[in-house]
Amino acid sequence: MPQKKISIRIDGELVSATEGMTILEAAQSAGKDIPTLCHMAGIADVGACRLCVVEVAGVGRLLPSCTTPAQDGMSVTTVSPQLMRYRRMVIELLLVERNHVCAVCVSNGHCELQSLATSLGVVSVRYPYNYPRLPVDLSHPRFVLDHNRCVLCSRCVRVCAEVEGAHVWDVANRGIKCRVTSEMNQSWGSSTSCTSCGKCVQACPTGALIEKGYAVEEMTKRHENISALAFAKGARP
Amino acid sequence: MEAFIDQVIASRSGRPGALLAILEAVQNRHPQKYLPEASLRYIAAAMKIPPARIYSVATFYALFNLQPQGEHTVCICRGTACHTRGSRSLLESVRLDLGIGGGEEDSPTSPDGRYTVRTVACFGQCALAPVVELDHRICGHVNERTLTREVAAMCEGHDQ
Repeated sequence: MPQKKISIRIDGELVSATEGMTILEAAQSAGKDIPTLCHMAGIADVGACRLCVVEVAGVGRLLPSCTTPAQDGMSVTTVSPQLMRYRRMVIELLLVERNHVCAVCVSNGHCELQSLATSLGVVSVRYPYNYPRLPVDLSHPRFVLDHNRCVLCSRCVRVCAEVEGAHVWDVANRGIKCRVTSEMNQSWGSSTSCTSCGKCVQACPTGALIEKGYAVEEMTKRHENISALAFAKGARP
Repeated sequence: MEAFIDQVIASRSGRPGALLAILEAVQNRHPQKYLPEASLRYIAAAMKIPPARIYSVATFYALFNLQPQGEHTVCICRGTACHTRGSRSLLESVRLDLGIGGGEEDSPTSPDGRYTVRTVACFGQCALAPVVELDHRICGHVNERTLTREVAAMCEGHDQ
């Protein structure tokens, strides 16, 4: 059955989309760039990072474009002073929450959080830093989990559950105590369901999940391969 | 315990949100009102839910305990109304009386396993502020003297 075509207006430009697409997908297919962090093509969207918020005419609040379905006749604004201010604030709050020290990070220069901060013009952080005491899990023979650099985007959780099917990861606790944990809050190395495939590492936007044996600035990640695999598996259309 | 878990799963599974009801039933069945790791693993295997998912659910809801609870529970409201009417000093005094540390890493249960002191964001009984819940019984307009008395009465009532 051919899917119904709809047309929406993005930043004043008429864009055609298929029914069931999210605003983000419609914008991306029209070549519009909306900043995202927790979104990854091919896996489910959860709207965790709030960077992709957009204004929709007639709606009083900002909506996350990754989880809002596009509707016929919708008028969407993706760039405005209010949105930029809001997105900068999101980045600042993410930087404040954990210990993001780029100078000593293996992902320095290849980090999505860092490049978003640069492209959105975050030059200073107006909030006091949290400096939490967080552990680093080195128990896995090949990989490292560093909670200091985690932004809780939950991409690792979804990639492991949806693409690999192992579901080693999940987010435990709530609020400021949220942590990505493997199985029953045990060390990653002792997890029996982990297949050591490394998809979570490649999906991680920051240096929270990394491969051992890399020095500062050396860790580059390729999550496009995982997206391609997810599409091939037919996890999502 | 495992037979009981099997029975609960058989009676509840298939319904949406069954996991919450199952976890609650298993916790209530345990004499120390908590979910031991072995039980969580057993539920995970029996329901074919990843252990990470179960751990995530069990830690998200404040209702579920992963540590053994004391015989008696004192739950002090730390909502705004109760705070302005002195719930912090109530909390500090009851912790001192029962020998429970107030730090972030301290266990909320006394070393002898008799008492657990918890806090709650709001009971929704702000007209009765400050509110304290003693073994699921709500007490309003509590001060340090009445709290000490009520805690002693709660323990006697149990011992008789």
